[in-house]
Amino acid sequence: MRLTAAEERMLDGGDGPARQKAMAGLVQLGRAFGAPRMVEIGYAHIHAGMALYLHDVELIEDLATLGATMAVPSSVNIANADTVNWRATGAPESLARLQQRAAGAQHQMGAACTFTCTPYWAGHWPTWNTHMTSIESTVTIFCNSVLGARSNRDGFFAVYAGITGRYPLFGYHLDENRRGTHLVRVDTPLNSITDYSALGFHVGRIVGEGVPVFEGFTERPSLDALDALGAALATSGGVALFIVPGVTPPYATTAQAFAGPVPESVVDARRADLDAVYDYFCTRDDGVFDIVHVGCPHASFEEMKEYGRLLDGKRIADGMEFWITTSRAVRRMAEEAGIIRTLEASGAKVISDTCPISCHFARTVSPDPKLGVVPPPLRSIVVDSAKQAKYVRDMIRCDTLLTGTAEAIETAITGRFVRHGRAA
Amino acid sequence: MKGPIRGRGIVDGVASGPALIAAEAISFLGDVDINTGEIVGDLPSVHGRSVKGTVLVFPYSRGSAGAWRFLYQLFKHGNHPVAIVSREPPDPSVVQGAILAGIPIVSDIPDAVWGNMQNGEMLSVDGTTGEVKAAE
Repeated sequence: MRLTAAEERMLDGGDGPARQKAMAGLVQLGRAFGAPRMVEIGYAHIHAGMALYLHDVELIEDLATLGATMAVPSSVNIANADTVNWRATGAPESLARLQQRAAGAQHQMGAACTFTCTPYWAGHWPTWNTHMTSIESTVTIFCNSVLGARSNRDGFFAVYAGITGRYPLFGYHLDENRRGTHLVRVDTPLNSITDYSALGFHVGRIVGEGVPVFEGFTERPSLDALDALGAALATSGGVALFIVPGVTPPYATTAQAFAGPVPESVVDARRADLDAVYDYFCTRDDGVFDIVHVGCPHASFEEMKEYGRLLDGKRIADGMEFWITTSRAVRRMAEEAGIIRTLEASGAKVISDTCPISCHFARTVSPDPKLGVVPPPLRSIVVDSAKQAKYVRDMIRCDTLLTGTAEAIETAITGRFVRHGRAA
Repeated sequence: MKGPIRGRGIVDGVASGPALIAAEAISFLGDVDINTGEIVGDLPSVHGRSVKGTVLVFPYSRGSAGAWRFLYQLFKHGNHPVAIVSREPPDPSVVQGAILAGIPIVSDIPDAVWGNMQNGEMLSVDGTTGEVKAAE
């Protein structure tokens, strides 16, 4: 791998031990994937340091102790506890305190401690052709597909890229991999944000790690719709990039998206395919559910407004737990707009920094036993996102009921499950 | 195994252990229990076996951006494979977890010699040279 003089200096320790460690890791990653050189990145979305995993917060603290600082604008991914409002979630204080330690280390390194899976709603908005890195697949796919930035689906090394400002040139950083592989024909109107989530889940299962190109939307999808579509594609498949001609930079037409012959075989997305996703995630409907949740990925300000509109003057049913999850930055904006007051007056809980599948509900984690984390017994969670639904099943290991946002909120108000498309 | 086979060294390091050969693709997020090392996912060929201390052999990894964390957690709990051999390069996330945990990886094993490794035999893996051979 060819390195510049500045990169060689980092590798040799001339810029301190943190950059040396980070560059050594990136060089090995580049070698594994045949990268000829590094590229300079403009943005990094990095690992939070997760309190529910043994020695994981320490991974971040160790870098801060080594003197690591972020060379590029950096945001921080979702965490394992609401570091302010943990009591509302039933998390033990020990867990919240450990999670707060990660925030301290992030501040020391100069990362914006957003603790969210949707940093773009908090102002981190990389532009066309910006090389970047992200530990969160939802961020990768949004930045690639909506903003035209260039990102792989990364792991821990996103933090190494942030520390050095470099990333090996491979994968979705190269034009040759940013071309369509499957043509998807959407043959149904999409009536809600959750319909986009169901569409993404359906298509991701078929295209795997391919690049789907979408045709047939009856209107330009909203930013929230594109966010939901991408999150689901990245969950059921390994999709890092989707293309909507006319939306995804720089593709104006389907022909440009394929940069060659358009495939003859077409992936169909009909109403029945979307209904099948809803059915797949409605494992049991016996009127028993413990939590109703909206805000996966973490809600945008527009979604917060929508929740406020749907809950204005309403009351969550007695004994019902209703969670709205969003980033602390969006929460602050919603607070100043008076939306949080409306939501909390209804009985809703607004939770930041985490979400049901990221918090102590998960059973696939491995915290330090000293923290005394005990997952609560949960039977079923109503959600409005296929991503949340999949991981409720896989990580919390309880039943799910997937429905639209309006229907989920009606479920919380009435105490009876309302199926998608059946909102009053 | 007859003679040594050669793939491409992906993650540096040398380690040896008994081969555990999965016929199916593996996802470290979900298929392996961190707390025991046991394979709990839908991999009929190795279901219920432990990856702990093994040279884990699989055709390819199923994509998950979270894979690195689970591989690293296996290491922190002492339940990790000592080396990985794969026919196709594993995901970037798996590679990142292996580098963090110091688990050597050899990939790009030619089809002609893929079947030469036998379950349970002691293998030595060199992630720098790409050589996989019978351990002494």
